Amino acid sequence: MKLRKIFVLLLALIMITGIFAGCGSNSSTTKDTSSNTPVQTPASTKVQETTAAKPVTVDIFQFKVEFKDAFGAAVEAFHKDNPNITINVQTVGGGEDYGAALKAKFNAGEEPAIFNIGGPSDVETWQAKLADVSETNAAKQALDGTLQGVTVNGKIYGIPYNVEGYGLIFNKKIFEKAGIDPASITTFDALTNAVKTIDSKKKDLGIQAVFAFPCKETWVTGLHLSNAFFSPEFDGDVMKAYNSKTVDFKYGDAMKAMIDLQNKYSVQPTASMDYSTQVEKLFSTGKVAMIQQGNWVFPTLTGIDADFAQNNIGMLPYPVKGFKEDSYPLGVPMYWAVNGTKSPEVQQAAKAFLDWLYTSDNGKKIVVEQFKFIPAYKGYSNDSVSDPLGKQLLSAANAGKTFGWVFNGYPNGWGMDKLGADVQLYVGGKLDWNKLIENEKKAWADARK
Amino acid sequence: MNIRKRSLNGGAWYWTFLTPSFVALMIVVLIPFIIGIYYSLTTWDAVNPYSFIGFKNFTNLLHDKLFWNSLLFTAKFALVFVFLINLLGLGLAMLVTRAIPFKNFMRTSFYLPNLIGGLILGFIWNFIFIDVFSTIGDALGISGLKVWLSTTNTGFWGMVIITAWQMAGYVMVIYIAYIESVPVDLIEASQIDGANSWQQFRKITFPLIFPAFTISLFITLSNAFKIFDQNLSLTKGAPGNTTQMITLNIYQTAYSEKQMAYGQAKAVVMFLIIATISILQVYFSKKREVEQ
Repeated sequence: MKLRKIFVLLLALIMITGIFAGCGSNSSTTKDTSSNTPVQTPASTKVQETTAAKPVTVDIFQFKVEFKDAFGAAVEAFHKDNPNITINVQTVGGGEDYGAALKAKFNAGEEPAIFNIGGPSDVETWQAKLADVSETNAAKQALDGTLQGVTVNGKIYGIPYNVEGYGLIFNKKIFEKAGIDPASITTFDALTNAVKTIDSKKKDLGIQAVFAFPCKETWVTGLHLSNAFFSPEFDGDVMKAYNSKTVDFKYGDAMKAMIDLQNKYSVQPTASMDYSTQVEKLFSTGKVAMIQQGNWVFPTLTGIDADFAQNNIGMLPYPVKGFKEDSYPLGVPMYWAVNGTKSPEVQQAAKAFLDWLYTSDNGKKIVVEQFKFIPAYKGYSNDSVSDPLGKQLLSAANAGKTFGWVFNGYPNGWGMDKLGADVQLYVGGKLDWNKLIENEKKAWADARK
Repeated sequence: MNIRKRSLNGGAWYWTFLTPSFVALMIVVLIPFIIGIYYSLTTWDAVNPYSFIGFKNFTNLLHDKLFWNSLLFTAKFALVFVFLINLLGLGLAMLVTRAIPFKNFMRTSFYLPNLIGGLILGFIWNFIFIDVFSTIGDALGISGLKVWLSTTNTGFWGMVIITAWQMAGYVMVIYIAYIESVPVDLIEASQIDGANSWQQFRKITFPLIFPAFTISLFITLSNAFKIFDQNLSLTKGAPGNTTQMITLNIYQTAYSEKQMAYGQAKAVVMFLIIATISILQVYFSKKREVEQ
């Protein structure tokens, strides 16, 4: 039976595909074995003072998938300078997955020497495992305000990865065609007018709508959008938010105005729109004029159209009516933490690595050129950042036109699962704004009881 | 009875063969299950020392509106899902057991979605529901097609469509096995007696494949409560957690809100619900089979 043979073959093939599909969805763990093999280097290379005399191994467990390869290269470069320190890197991506994987690691007894923490709530969870890193160079060089979220009783428990910021990323060509000068948009009213102008010329500009507002991504609404309006309420201090028993929605009206503006002039329906639709499908192809996103979209946009990303985008400030209308929310997405239960030698080596990465000349070069980070440290030249979004944020930071991130101080899950979820109902017309505020105030207070 | 008794006490060989799978079952199912129940009575967060708090997690659960909403959503889903998938599975099985061309090819095609991971299916259907549907909606001027997955109802039916499509093939295979075991002489005898095809199905095939219903209902019902990856990748609870199934609710409690023990308590409740339904259903189905 020829047919049967084909059938069996087909089935086998499909099952194999199924297995691969399963693998793809489950395991994003990758062991960076390349750094396991000691690199053969002459012993004459520069050895830093802090380097331990005995060979030590430092295990790093980190979450940033995007820079895994560049990070591996950096680790190798460090090993060349410090042959006594061997570093193993393991990467597990994604916000919640990382947290769960880290807990599993600790429970399995394979505690990493360096791992990532996000802010005050992580500091509280991991307190017993964290080493004070305040004497490291990196911590001393960190920019003002970047360490608030990881400082408890004067002790510093984290070293910033980098600084990220967001605003309204716009398409320069569309603005030009519509006759709008982006530099003039420094207030919410100016923004509203510009949006209305673009909307009225929608047909001529060949766009579907002004905005793409991805409410399915509750981090966009529940964390980033809301952050701009809670930052003034908590004086831009993440610890204030973290210690607050209640939330007032002091800038609730301004928040509502911003949600309404983005929702009304967005491609519909917004409640089910996701990140890739917003950034890749609509913005990168010039079908919308503006999106609320941060400098992290630059590599994605470059991957689609390098010329577009380099020359055709800019970032408008994020206007908060009644507070700052010409500034950008700027913050630290993640911190490096050193495991305080490891032996002093390992801790020393771990700190030496972080110092090398952020404060040595070689490390600095890698951080800006390979990682493409906006450094969270002093001692970097301003034109070291090459992408237009990062440049814009850096110059805003130098001009003092920024405000801090407080969303890491929200109760766990509140921003995304409570506020962000209710915003989906609000934009769908299923929930009244006042009821939303009432719900969220109660959820915050319940979580902080 | 005698034989069974002997084999139970049957000495070293019996236990030698039993031990590997029994140990595996203990390590990966029974022991974690018992530890899990214990954790649900504590303040465990997977990192720090914890304390025993009795049934406080469970009493908190009583006031957790989101939990009950997601349970209700799951129950509604299960109802539609079980009905639809058995109907679909039986229908497909009837179809491919007839003398029609490309029978094997059709069996494979119907079974195929079952081999693709739920996460990937969710993303594929996400694209179909949002992009393809809205394109069709634009072309035909039907605005109802443009809001898929952005409202609670479309989210619900989206979940039903994708899971029914995915798992119908599995149920179909069970029905095929039973349909093909129906003796041909019975069918022939009824034909001689002048039974039409509906009567054949109702009076002969249906009673004889009744055990298949027991199995399929049991599998689909407990599957309905355990669906997770399709929910995560298709709607993720949007809008406003109104399409959140019980498993996603547990996941969010444990990992986003970082209340591991509370999430575990919810999981224990979910286990009790599934166990109760399954036991009841098996009991009634067995009773029915004996009557046949």
